[in-house]
Amino acid sequence: MRSLGWTRLGWPALRLLLTVAIVLGVFGLFLWALGKDPIQAYRDTFRLNLLNPRGLAGVLARMAPLLLTALGVALPFRSGLINVGAEGQFLMGALAGTWAALNLPALPWGLHLALVLLAGMGGGALWAAIPGALRALGWVNETIATLLLNYLAPLVVGYFVFGPWRAPELAFYPQTPEFPASARLPLWFGTRLHLGFFLGLFFLLAYAYLVSRSRWGLELRAVGGNPEAARRLGLPVERWILAAMVLGGALAGLAGITEVAAVHARLKLDISPGYGFMGFLVNWLAFAHPVGILVMSFLLAFIASSGFTLQITQRLPYAAVNVLMALILFTVLAKPLAREVRR
Amino acid sequence: MKRAWLGLAVLAFGWAAVAQPCLVVGMIIGGTKDDAGYNQSQYEALMALKAKMPCVEILFAENVPAGEAEAVLENMILQGAKLLFPAGFAYMFPALNVAKRHPDVIFMHPGGYMLANNFGTYFSNVQFAYYLLGVAAGLMTKTNKLGFVGGMPTAFVLGNCNAFHLGARAVNPNVTTYFVVTGAWLDRAKEVAATQALIQQGCDVIGSHLDSPIALAQTCCEAGVFFVGYPSLAVQKFCPEYWLTGLGLTWGDFFVEIAQQVLAGTWKPAHIRRGLEAGFLTLGEFGPKVPEEVKRVVLEYKEKLARGELQPFAGPIRDQAGNVRIPEGTAWGPLDMGKFDWLAEGIVGSPK
Amino acid sequence: MNWFLSWISGAILYAAPILFPTLGEVVEQRTGMVNLGLEGLMLLGASVGFSVSFVTRNAWLGVLAAAGVGLVANLIYAGLVVHRRAHQLAAGLALMFFGIGMSALIGKPYVGQMAPGLPKYALAGSQSLLFRYDPLVYLAFLLAPLLWFLLFRTRFGLWLRAVGESPAIAYAAGVSPNAVRYFAAALAGTLAAVGGAHLSLGITGTWSEGMTAGRGFIAIALVIFSRWNPLRAIAGALLFGGAVVLQLQLQAQGVGISPFFLDMLPYVLTLLVLLVWGRGVRHVAPASLGRVYFGTE
Repeated sequence: MRSLGWTRLGWPALRLLLTVAIVLGVFGLFLWALGKDPIQAYRDTFRLNLLNPRGLAGVLARMAPLLLTALGVALPFRSGLINVGAEGQFLMGALAGTWAALNLPALPWGLHLALVLLAGMGGGALWAAIPGALRALGWVNETIATLLLNYLAPLVVGYFVFGPWRAPELAFYPQTPEFPASARLPLWFGTRLHLGFFLGLFFLLAYAYLVSRSRWGLELRAVGGNPEAARRLGLPVERWILAAMVLGGALAGLAGITEVAAVHARLKLDISPGYGFMGFLVNWLAFAHPVGILVMSFLLAFIASSGFTLQITQRLPYAAVNVLMALILFTVLAKPLAREVRR
Repeated sequence: MKRAWLGLAVLAFGWAAVAQPCLVVGMIIGGTKDDAGYNQSQYEALMALKAKMPCVEILFAENVPAGEAEAVLENMILQGAKLLFPAGFAYMFPALNVAKRHPDVIFMHPGGYMLANNFGTYFSNVQFAYYLLGVAAGLMTKTNKLGFVGGMPTAFVLGNCNAFHLGARAVNPNVTTYFVVTGAWLDRAKEVAATQALIQQGCDVIGSHLDSPIALAQTCCEAGVFFVGYPSLAVQKFCPEYWLTGLGLTWGDFFVEIAQQVLAGTWKPAHIRRGLEAGFLTLGEFGPKVPEEVKRVVLEYKEKLARGELQPFAGPIRDQAGNVRIPEGTAWGPLDMGKFDWLAEGIVGSPK
Repeated sequence: MNWFLSWISGAILYAAPILFPTLGEVVEQRTGMVNLGLEGLMLLGASVGFSVSFVTRNAWLGVLAAAGVGLVANLIYAGLVVHRRAHQLAAGLALMFFGIGMSALIGKPYVGQMAPGLPKYALAGSQSLLFRYDPLVYLAFLLAPLLWFLLFRTRFGLWLRAVGESPAIAYAAGVSPNAVRYFAAALAGTLAAVGGAHLSLGITGTWSEGMTAGRGFIAIALVIFSRWNPLRAIAGALLFGGAVVLQLQLQAQGVGISPFFLDMLPYVLTLLVLLVWGRGVRHVAPASLGRVYFGTE
């Protein structure tokens, strides 16, 4: 586990702390300029979202989709692919999983849920396979294709939610019928914490193992690092490209279906407040490093959760946390990255 | 140093003890509180509650997407809320989930159809009163074409469009109503486009069921076409000249009633549906271009509605295909309003 | 015939607010920069434009202010990308979040208020309500050929494209890639914000949070659809505007159609364009798109 060694983590950790301190300072000034009390705002935010078990459970629940979408971006990233499409893969995963939840015959709890999650992964994987194949064939750049498919996905979901799958009894708001109990993810401790969080952790560990220990991880990195050399070494570069996209899409799709099966219990249009894009940023902030992904997804989940605290206690529009998020990103972006990791 | 902190803590505690509210009430809405529409009407009711019961502490969040509702409601409960108004259609299921986890907190949801031990619903009998707006429109139209812009093709929207049309036909049998859906509760640019499409179709009175018909009102003004307002009377100021009349959702007194029940421990879950007579709705002032005769007829219908002599959804009522949906001798009441998945005969447009 | 005219009339109106950001992004991408922050820039423009128009009671001052704020905001992006060599996609998304947040904060006091809108002038010969537009619509459609001329018929356009193709060669030829990119970013920020202001001051006459409803993203798709050509961007914007209006007009005539199908049209067509031209797109796309220029070390 050399790549996870603490010496390599010391500096990034310090830098992160410094960044957070700078940003909290700047945002505090910003709050102060708006006539708010920054100290009180921060105190409320920490008290309600970190120190309170229910609040913390809410942050962890929000972390689940971020972990999975970030991994969905990180895996292709390792092989040199930019997957901006986690948002679309998230939605298509939710769509495919919903199909399984509503259409499979009665099955025991564990089995049905497993099939629903698998279907969700399949939906995300298929959606990612399109840009993956186009890229492997050398036709279309995967950045462009994944980006475009992001905008198509909500329309496809909208078609089903407003059309064939719309629950007849829900006359007031277009959404599908409720998932049967056998297709729901369990929630724990009377809080919003759900199995998706542990799925996220599990896949994070699997990812850490894959990239640091396994032969697969090596080949993946070889393909990403220098495709020409990899090809000369006899590695099936095209197949690796497709596989990386498909696996990434499967993880983003899993994020989508866990979010639906745990939180909403029915498919509707507004299931994602941009989790796919946030996952992209998490991966980018973490530079595809497993520990970084863990820390950054927690940080972003915490910020997103704080937004409503600030709105309720400080009467700030929720969108103000977007400014906070942007400040963090600007601060990090303003620091040029070391050359060898740049791509 | 330690002593200073202690002093601060005592001060804070003392302040908290003095300002202890009698009840913490929370509300979330999906739009902004100044939208001259649905969200403003909810917010104004909350402010009326605060004005009449100053001991109440208010927690409030706007622009809350349905996917975030659970988190925000939990957040409000952490801050002591005991009565919550998840004031948007889409919040029913998220709020029910939260209600299950917090049996000691009471939830009042607008327009929902499910109940729990700590979860009740309220709404105005809008469809019945919208009939009056139809009467006004039917008397005012020159082209005999009315337009209706809906956010989404849901039962309440279809019901309002049907009521608008049926009211107009009651006074003007030649009326045709054109129904258009934008596909979103708030997309101003599309609302303008939809209104323009109706105006180009020849419609000269426009009704609507949107979160906030501000852009619609302004488009009507520009084209010199009448409109009726809903769900807040505040939209009047955006085009006073071509405002016919409108319906406002007015729940302030009801919120006070609920808060007092919660404090007294007498609150019970129920579907509460009331109309103009109970102050759940207010019929707006008439606009400057409305003739006295029209005002008289509309108010006459209003009286009849209040006395129960008028049943807007009394059969026979046929749908677009000519099938009888409400048979002769029967009438749909307030709890049937969620059943509309059809448009009445004489309406052009799709109910899907 | 009548409905056809009103369709075209509507398509032109709703094309304009997308055409502005699309044109800006075409120029920006021609110099090698992908900017995912258009949505944020448009929101900033819509919000600032409306607020300033409300305060000054002058819609033109609103448009001007929107343009200025868009320019400055996009210079943040350009500074990060060009000067600090930051990741373009991440910087763009950061800009998007910034725009969403700042526009909400700035516009908060002006929700549900009335501000003076832009005046409307009829296209020659039009008597009815059709073909009456505010000046920004005319400006959008004039800008497209102007920018085409700038890109493909002037020396400066050659520099722009050279920077997008190969910054090193451009540098060797005596062009400063960084200066060119700052210029392109300034232009793109201005145009995106003006597009947003057109939504709030020209079309709807109101401000509401998130009112661009994804139009900034559509613009990015249209850049690809137009294959980085300002003239073809007109076709793309008209296609999108036409789809919106057609869908509503069909409804008003009793033709039921899932709005999602028509909304999908621009994206599906863009994907088809990508597929049909296949490898060809690679030759059209600026070669250094998305890459960081490290100067000549």
